[in-house]
Amino acid sequence: MSEQNIIEIKGVEKRFGSFVAVSDLNLTLKEGEFFSLLGPSGCGKTTALRIIAGFQDHEEGEIRINGRTMGEVPANKRPTNMVFQSYAIFPHLNVGDNVGFGLRKTKLSRNEIKERVAEALEMVELGGLQDRKANELSGGQRQRVALARALVMRPKVLLLDEPLSALDKNLREAMQLEMRRLQQKLGITFVMVTHDQYEAMTMSDRIGVMFAGQLKQVDRPEVLYSQPCNREVASFIGGMNFLDAEVTAENSESLEVNVQGFGQMTIGVNPNVQVHDKELLVGVRPEQLEISAEKPDGYDALVQGEVSDVAFYGESVHYYVRVDGLKDSIAVAVPNYFHTVDHSRGDTVWLGVQSASVIDLGKRESLGGEK
Amino acid sequence: MTKVIRIPWLAVYAIAYLVFLYLPVLLLPLFSFNDGTIVAFPLKGFTLKWYAQLGQQDTLLQAMVNSLIVGSVTALMATSLGLFAARAYVRYRFAGRELSEGLVMLPLVIPGIIVASSMLVLFISIGLKPSLTTVILGHVFVALPFSVSIMKSAFDDFDQSLEEAAFDLGESVVGTFRRVTLPIVAPGIIASLLVTFTVSFDEFVLAFFLSGNSPTLPVYIWSQIRFPAKLPNTLALGSLLLLSSVLLLLIAEYFRRRSIQSSD
Repeated sequence: MSEQNIIEIKGVEKRFGSFVAVSDLNLTLKEGEFFSLLGPSGCGKTTALRIIAGFQDHEEGEIRINGRTMGEVPANKRPTNMVFQSYAIFPHLNVGDNVGFGLRKTKLSRNEIKERVAEALEMVELGGLQDRKANELSGGQRQRVALARALVMRPKVLLLDEPLSALDKNLREAMQLEMRRLQQKLGITFVMVTHDQYEAMTMSDRIGVMFAGQLKQVDRPEVLYSQPCNREVASFIGGMNFLDAEVTAENSESLEVNVQGFGQMTIGVNPNVQVHDKELLVGVRPEQLEISAEKPDGYDALVQGEVSDVAFYGESVHYYVRVDGLKDSIAVAVPNYFHTVDHSRGDTVWLGVQSASVIDLGKRESLGGEK
Repeated sequence: MTKVIRIPWLAVYAIAYLVFLYLPVLLLPLFSFNDGTIVAFPLKGFTLKWYAQLGQQDTLLQAMVNSLIVGSVTALMATSLGLFAARAYVRYRFAGRELSEGLVMLPLVIPGIIVASSMLVLFISIGLKPSLTTVILGHVFVALPFSVSIMKSAFDDFDQSLEEAAFDLGESVVGTFRRVTLPIVAPGIIASLLVTFTVSFDEFVLAFFLSGNSPTLPVYIWSQIRFPAKLPNTLALGSLLLLSSVLLLLIAEYFRRRSIQSSD
């Protein structure tokens, strides 16, 4: 990744009638970055991608790609190429002609096109399949052809619209790693739209989380996970137990809080949170809680409860623990180290937490449309 | 114990219906091979002379040429219009879309005689004399619903991102249409050409009103029916037309199905 800005989006807004699909979008991407737009369906992430691609106009704001203002520049003149959700493989052309489709409009000779196509197919591990018909391809192969067809144009930015959603789970996970490897090798900026948080986290350098047309937070995956800016983002990335808390004292770096059920503790101020109410919301990740039949030692806060549900996930076991005075039961995830399920429904257990694992999420009611 | 014989009434009804529908049509080729000028049983013997005589009648051949011209031009015009209309109907949401679609389909239900007489009045009032041109204009009008509905089914399953992908890869709007849209809907276009040609080739009422001194084949046949001696010739001609119509429609159906498969 270089320090060169490849995409600069300033104040972009898109309305469909009275519906605001994308609102005041501001985003700067570095050259060679793998960036994901993550959000639930209908949050405007695909619209944002299509605005960058030039398939969708926008009412306000400005987009610069590679230093050039895009404005009225149509999609076929932009230094971007797109991998479509449906892959959009041309059904009447074979693999070679699909991949070489865009090169026909360039000044390259027939032989140069052939070479570039072969090279691109090699890159996506479909070497030698030039003559294969489009309808003879498997889902994974179609995805690779779509990737090769876009990359062969050597775009400044590759746009990917839910590129893996049509694949089954195993193939999807293999392609995640492969696309990441390819992106790092080529050094091309990838902008991917996805609703799959794991996909976004495993592949991206940075993720932008969108809700209701607004970009709520842009950060590296580990920061999004450890310091989400509000309840929405926290609940969309990984599992999270939300707890009400009262702020009893505060300074610029830490908050003295009284957390419902767990009691008094000192937690760090989350730099991504804008407004800290006295009525604070805090979060604890399920895997950062200790669950034990005996009262455990060495935790900053403890609470006793009763196991209400047990869910076995294979790599981990999730216990749901009901604690007196709390509205929702608390989820605890325990890695499956020893192939045992230690607690069953109705057991009385202790939950332990370190104050460093308690995340400050600012205001309690942040599920509205505000930033 | 008595055995109850169940009569499959629905099957009997269906067979009776089909016989009633197609028997008269089948009589046409049967009598065209009959060695006698009177169309009545018993048959007199087998002959091909009525067919052989067809080739010697200049007015018939001229009518055939007229019909081919009208059919071809109609097919081309109706299919081009249908192609663009169908693409717009399937692809875009615009004010008046449903109204315009309804209007395009209207010729299917308006009585032909009304269309024919009003077109005749219109054409004469704007100074267009009855000719093959006016027949073509009339036929495009009645063939358009067929073309639009065939092309709509071709576009219905057409993935819009195919066009976007081509455009995204640097192709122009026209180039995208030529290199992606056209080849993919080509089977639909062929089906539409064949069907609209057949519609025009078989059409009588409009052609009768609008053809003036240059009759198309159906108008010619009608004029010949008045002469009893010519009747077997007409039957032979009718049989040939029947055969070619069925063939054309079968080919059209083949392409229509292919167009639906290829866009999956």
